[in-house]
Amino acid sequence: MKRFVTAVLLGVLGLYTVSSAHAVGDPKHGTDIFAEECADCHSVLQDKNKKGPSLWGVAGRPSGAIADFDYSSAMRQSGIVWTADKMDAYITQPKQVVAGTRMKYDGLGDAKARADLIAYLTSLH
Amino acid sequence: MALQLRKAIQCLSTGSKIFLYSETTMKQTKLPFLLSALLGVLATGTSTPAQAVPSFSRQTGQECANCHIGSFGPQLTPYGIKFKLGGYTDSDGKEGHIPLSGMVAGSYTHTSKDQSGDVGNGFGNNDNSSLQQASVFFAGRLSEHLGSFTQVTYSEPDRKVRMDNLDLRYATTLQIDEKDTVVGVSLNNNPTVSDPFNTVPAWRFPYISSGMAVGPQAATLIEGSLAQKVVGASLYGLYDNNWYAELGVYDGLSQGALTDIHVDPGDKLDGVAPYWRLGYFKDMHKQAFSLGVFGLTAHLLPGWTPGPTDKYRDFGVDSSYQYLGTREHVFALNGSFINEHRAMDASDPASSTGHLNRADLSASYHYDKTYGVTLGLFDISGSSSATLYAPAADSGSRTGSPNTNGYTMQFDWTPFGKEASWQAPWANMRLGLQYTGYEKFNGARDNYDGFGRNARDNNTLYTFIWFAI
Repeated sequence: MKRFVTAVLLGVLGLYTVSSAHAVGDPKHGTDIFAEECADCHSVLQDKNKKGPSLWGVAGRPSGAIADFDYSSAMRQSGIVWTADKMDAYITQPKQVVAGTRMKYDGLGDAKARADLIAYLTSLH
Repeated sequence: MALQLRKAIQCLSTGSKIFLYSETTMKQTKLPFLLSALLGVLATGTSTPAQAVPSFSRQTGQECANCHIGSFGPQLTPYGIKFKLGGYTDSDGKEGHIPLSGMVAGSYTHTSKDQSGDVGNGFGNNDNSSLQQASVFFAGRLSEHLGSFTQVTYSEPDRKVRMDNLDLRYATTLQIDEKDTVVGVSLNNNPTVSDPFNTVPAWRFPYISSGMAVGPQAATLIEGSLAQKVVGASLYGLYDNNWYAELGVYDGLSQGALTDIHVDPGDKLDGVAPYWRLGYFKDMHKQAFSLGVFGLTAHLLPGWTPGPTDKYRDFGVDSSYQYLGTREHVFALNGSFINEHRAMDASDPASSTGHLNRADLSASYHYDKTYGVTLGLFDISGSSSATLYAPAADSGSRTGSPNTNGYTMQFDWTPFGKEASWQAPWANMRLGLQYTGYEKFNGARDNYDGFGRNARDNNTLYTFIWFAI
């Protein structure tokens, strides 16, 4: 019985570990998500702004921080710092997080895809 | 040599297509095509493809590949579709962008059999090389809501600078029922040039083709017959990024105005010509599709002679699909069918009413935004008329039938136009190899013209080099 309980606990722990790994995200797959969902409007090259600002070094960056990019006033005044949680919320429903954002994107509903994308974006520094 | 090159620079753009017009002394073109085209570019300065306008790229910070499948115009991605409907006004937020671009396209044409006579204006009856088109574009954002895609073309057949495509837009985004709705007005000079989909005549495949080869005799009115001869305004809207509608009306320019802008007057538009368009568009980022219908009604006075008019009512259905994925492998399908009802009270009063149908289907695949292959199928069918489709060497019909069908295959290489491309976004080039084959031509496979020419004799090998800056 003791062995059985131990096995179950280890199994649950294993599932949790896998689950956590998914939550952390796969940056390699995140590059594909970026290409599919983001690259039309954003570059990952430093100082390369397109319709949207460069996402190089976005993790941990305050919103509206790129001096020569023309942000919406809503984004400049949002006071957001782009932590993983904030990025996740914004990518899920941009206008729910920053009403008045100029980003014309409906949002990415797939949590796994978001996690992978955020893992990729976090790696850009 | 200088004359050859000078005369080779010519080409006229009709809608999205560039047609070579034969003219000069090219009977014995010995110079290899690429060399002649490159020398022609040097001789004439820089220019741009009629449908890929680098000033848009400089204005937005986007690479050409964002708006165009294969990194070169005019095949639009969903992003490009929205940019156009937004009035060409998206920008990177910086000032000082100059809305000017240029293009040059050079080409070489070989048909399976020599034509019965020289193509004209100095070009021979086969194996003609030419610098096809030189154009300047006034294209870009003029204000927050106003943008332009205006083209002036120097063409060799007439050796004049002429007005080409015009599309001035005002666009704004409203909230209707809490949905983003783009609303705009387009002032333009060619029915369907205002459309954002590569299914309508002005923008469908092939995006560049030879004018040195014999082409089918019949075309529906909406396929460029009114291009540059009219001016019109259309009101359009895109509701919730999905529902597209456009309603416009065109009026003919006077003969004097057409002469001033060096456009062949053709037939006079009697009254005004209404144009309409409805469509559904869905952008799912990894893929996209559209479905739509469109139409044009017009009465023409042939040769501007007062009297009875020819009456046209065109109706089209179209659809497109794009698989975009990560943009490494991009697959696109475009299809359209146009039915034209005609009452030719002026040109063919004996037959009077009839119809003409045109069907097009094209499939393209592009790898790494650089290497492309496209296969297009076309079919023209309609009522017979010994008057409209009379026998004539090469271009006529022995049977009085317009029926023509065939295919066009194109391979192209576009080395620039990506984010990390050399000299982006200034350096842009496409090299292409195109082959058009005919199963039936003007009503028959064999001796279609009554002078012994067969449909396959018009099979055309066409190579081109296209520069944009």
